[in-house]
Amino acid sequence: MKEYTLYPGCSLEAGGAGGHYMVSTEAVAHELGIKFHEINDWNCCGSSFAYLGGDLITETVLAARNLALAEPLGHDVVCPCSACYKVLNNADHHMKDDPELMAKVNKVLARGGMSYKGSIRVRHLLDVLGNDIGLEAIRAKVVNPLAGLKVAGHVGCQTIRPHCEYDNPEAPKVLDAVIEALGAKAVKFPLKMKCCGAGLVVTEPDACYDLDRAILQSATENEADLIVSPCPMCQMNLEAYQGKINDKYDTNFEVPVIFITQLMAVAFGLDPNKAAALNYALVPVKDLLAPYYKNRAAAAH
Amino acid sequence: MSQPARFDQGFAKEIFSTVESGEKMKMCMQCGVCAGSCPLGDKMDYTPRKIFALVRAGAKEKVLGSRALWYCTSCYNCKVRCPRKVPVVDIMHGLARKAFLEGYAEKQNTATFAKFFWENIHSLGRIDEKALAQKYFLSFGLLEGAKKALGMTDIALGMLLHHRMKLLPGKAIKGKATLKQLLDAAVQEEKAERLAKKEVA
Repeated sequence: MKEYTLYPGCSLEAGGAGGHYMVSTEAVAHELGIKFHEINDWNCCGSSFAYLGGDLITETVLAARNLALAEPLGHDVVCPCSACYKVLNNADHHMKDDPELMAKVNKVLARGGMSYKGSIRVRHLLDVLGNDIGLEAIRAKVVNPLAGLKVAGHVGCQTIRPHCEYDNPEAPKVLDAVIEALGAKAVKFPLKMKCCGAGLVVTEPDACYDLDRAILQSATENEADLIVSPCPMCQMNLEAYQGKINDKYDTNFEVPVIFITQLMAVAFGLDPNKAAALNYALVPVKDLLAPYYKNRAAAAH
Repeated sequence: MSQPARFDQGFAKEIFSTVESGEKMKMCMQCGVCAGSCPLGDKMDYTPRKIFALVRAGAKEKVLGSRALWYCTSCYNCKVRCPRKVPVVDIMHGLARKAFLEGYAEKQNTATFAKFFWENIHSLGRIDEKALAQKYFLSFGLLEGAKKALGMTDIALGMLLHHRMKLLPGKAIKGKATLKQLLDAAVQEEKAERLAKKEVA
């Protein structure tokens, strides 16, 4: 049993745009023997808009309240969301690299009776799955090998950047390795690190549709059956806006986009809705994955 | 005889000393790796490299009025790839905040959205995606906002039907008041620091 502290983030809350990430993460974690302790009363990390409300001290305080709440639990903090990971990890690094900043942040936190010493680390869920749990343990849980399924693994920016601690941002390997551990084929996907536009899809949609069209094109021209993502922004932008993109560019994309944890739940033979959360999909994916559900009963769930 | 070019060094100095990571802008050698790596670089009025050159040239209005500051997706390509280790994205965000505080960003969609994002943090401690989108669209006025929102109803309905949107308003965190207190204190701390730096400059 491996224990971690979980920072779900706003997108993963029930009723959030990435609720299916939470459902599948919990199911897969249970299967792999991961015990999550959720941070009590966590607050929003500030995502990619934190900069508007303040400079480095303010941004760091917003993130550090969560780290201060997490530290007494003693485990590394795991973020399934890439934006949360980037923000909390940035705050952790900035404070550890700059004791003066840490002192300033702690002076502010003290007003709320809190402090952060820096005894824990911030990790992305993909790092934990691919490196801590490892490919062998993942392979061992596969009851429905996804042989013949062609998967485009879209890694996304903040999943790795800016600290690049567990994978190479120019040629990432971890996501594809997890896909292949499930028995699927990770197709060549040159734009796997291309930005989806994140929150700017709301404010500058036309600019972002350009980015997402290019990513969808890169996946489909390499004959991917579906795209998997470890990031709620990428998953949302690549899936929900396909209709808008088709209207704008006269294309006909209809490619499912799900979280890597959803694909893992399928390969592990877990319930298609209660664990794999396939009923959350806007671009239908159940028919594509149904043939792989041969050994559902074998999974004793 | 033509007039010699006039550069206002004061603006560059102000940016170096008061904008987040501004001092590190001095390391920029204008190679353009940031511009070439930027996902929306081709849609900006000035790429990050040009923004830095304009800061040095003292072109305050062009810099703070630039659309580029609001087209940063925070992908961190520029920061990771910069051969001189300039934290380009952090400086772009710092410039964006300065533009916002000095009234240059009223017509920038991303600034408006980010403002409501922070209102959400202050009022709930978390983000209620539905409420945030509603507020944002209504900021364009009733008619324009309704038009923009209607263009997105298909997506919103899809999200609602697939358990990905809340029907009820988001709930506030218990530590909401403390969080607000901490954030206000942090902003005050920064204000005092900026004032001290300005006096030294």
